[in-house]
Amino acid sequence: MIGDIINIIKDYWLLLLIGQYPNGPLGGLANTLILSALSIALAFPVSILLALARLSKWGLLRWPVTALVYITRGVPLLMLILWSYFLVPLLTGADVPSFYTMLTTLVIYQGAFLSEVVRAGIVALGPGQMDAARALGHSYMGAMRFIILPQALYNMIPSMISTFVATIKDTTLGYVINVPDLTFAASQVNNQLLTQPFQVFLILAAVYYAICWSLTHVANVIERRIARKRAGVVSRQSPASLAQVKVITEQP
Amino acid sequence: MITSASSPQQQTIRLSNVCKSYGNYPVLKNIDAEVARGEVVVICGPSGSGKSTLIRTINRLEEISSGSITLDGQDIHAEMRTKDLNLLRSRIGFVFQNFNLFPHLSVVENVTISPIRVKGVAPDAAHEKALNLLDRVGLADKAGAYPGQLSGGQQQRVAIARALAMEPPVMLFDEPTSALDPEMVGEVLAVMKGLAAEGMTMLCVTHEMGFAREVADRIWFIDAGQILEVASPEEFFKNPRHPRAQRFLTDLRH
Repeated sequence: MIGDIINIIKDYWLLLLIGQYPNGPLGGLANTLILSALSIALAFPVSILLALARLSKWGLLRWPVTALVYITRGVPLLMLILWSYFLVPLLTGADVPSFYTMLTTLVIYQGAFLSEVVRAGIVALGPGQMDAARALGHSYMGAMRFIILPQALYNMIPSMISTFVATIKDTTLGYVINVPDLTFAASQVNNQLLTQPFQVFLILAAVYYAICWSLTHVANVIERRIARKRAGVVSRQSPASLAQVKVITEQP
Repeated sequence: MITSASSPQQQTIRLSNVCKSYGNYPVLKNIDAEVARGEVVVICGPSGSGKSTLIRTINRLEEISSGSITLDGQDIHAEMRTKDLNLLRSRIGFVFQNFNLFPHLSVVENVTISPIRVKGVAPDAAHEKALNLLDRVGLADKAGAYPGQLSGGQQQRVAIARALAMEPPVMLFDEPTSALDPEMVGEVLAVMKGLAAEGMTMLCVTHEMGFAREVADRIWFIDAGQILEVASPEEFFKNPRHPRAQRFLTDLRH
């Protein structure tokens, strides 16, 4: 059993690492890491913009984004992926590589989820911080940037990491539209071996676990470093203030 | 230190016919009043009477339904660009019941962030001024600490220093001592008395009747959204004219 696994790695490590590259598209673990990193790096700023839009006083900004969040939350990611894969070429006639279809879908999907985390972080601060910033003359966006978001994002690090980890795991769904990632490479290996699916997919699981665990570990280190910088004080708001959802919708 | 308070320009807060309601429920009814330059006004009244709402309308943390509020003749609730409103707000210091210090910033950063980000003061100059202000409220040694490490009274004194850093000609206090343990009330009131003595124009919502008696030039008694009585402290505490004020003072003594 362990011997099988070692043999598989020995024979196929290059395929699992970079796919068919350089004879074909880059794939394997390298592509999974690139797809994950890009998804997270793009979904994070998108989520902040979506959260701010959902808290905006302008309905024109608030309603479309609210609709987007509700729809993405209510539809399985797999359906969204298949839709974008089949619909976008049909509507535009453009031949979009599956990698970009996957990336865009993931950014929208995880951006919507993450925006709810960010919004919760902002709302949970309570109205007092925004009041204080406005009373001192800060603009709404200035207050967000220097007062509200630094606290809200910090408080939400654990939830954000969960979403980031989910993003990494969701890249595996690219398999259904032939994104050449690690899962795709593993199934190629499995198709060649035919008799050792358990061993092949155990390797796959172990690699994903290692990636997600590393991210969690890095996040914990960052969180501790910020906590130390803030002298471990960040006083938690009373539960009562959580109820005041009125907050931070933009005021003139 | 608070040079702007003693500027020669005559400035006042004037409230004319201010009304505010939440739906059909009126919170402020036809408020007519004014604060002269250098004057200390204490607003008192039973809870739920609209005191806090009233003071929050003066820097437009709350909107009003009708009427007008002016600072130096400038209508605070007029249609204006947000930039102008922000500028206007920065000239009205506000101290909150719950301090609302920024917990992710150190004490000195709490005091410097607004001069730097709003007024564009150079960081070095802002820092130096902040240390002066902290010294004034007796907290020079806490400059590097974080709000979570301070007592309530210390936090409120930092909040006062933070407001003063914008050099506002007017300071508003919304029950600044109500969230404090009794033994910390004095240190905050002492800072406020110092400000009053320097000629700062102040409007305070407070239940500290000792402070009102000693420091206030005038008292506004407010109940159910109306100013029922405006009087000097001596008059108000000896001979309150309005029956509601009489009952309020009797209740306080019990």
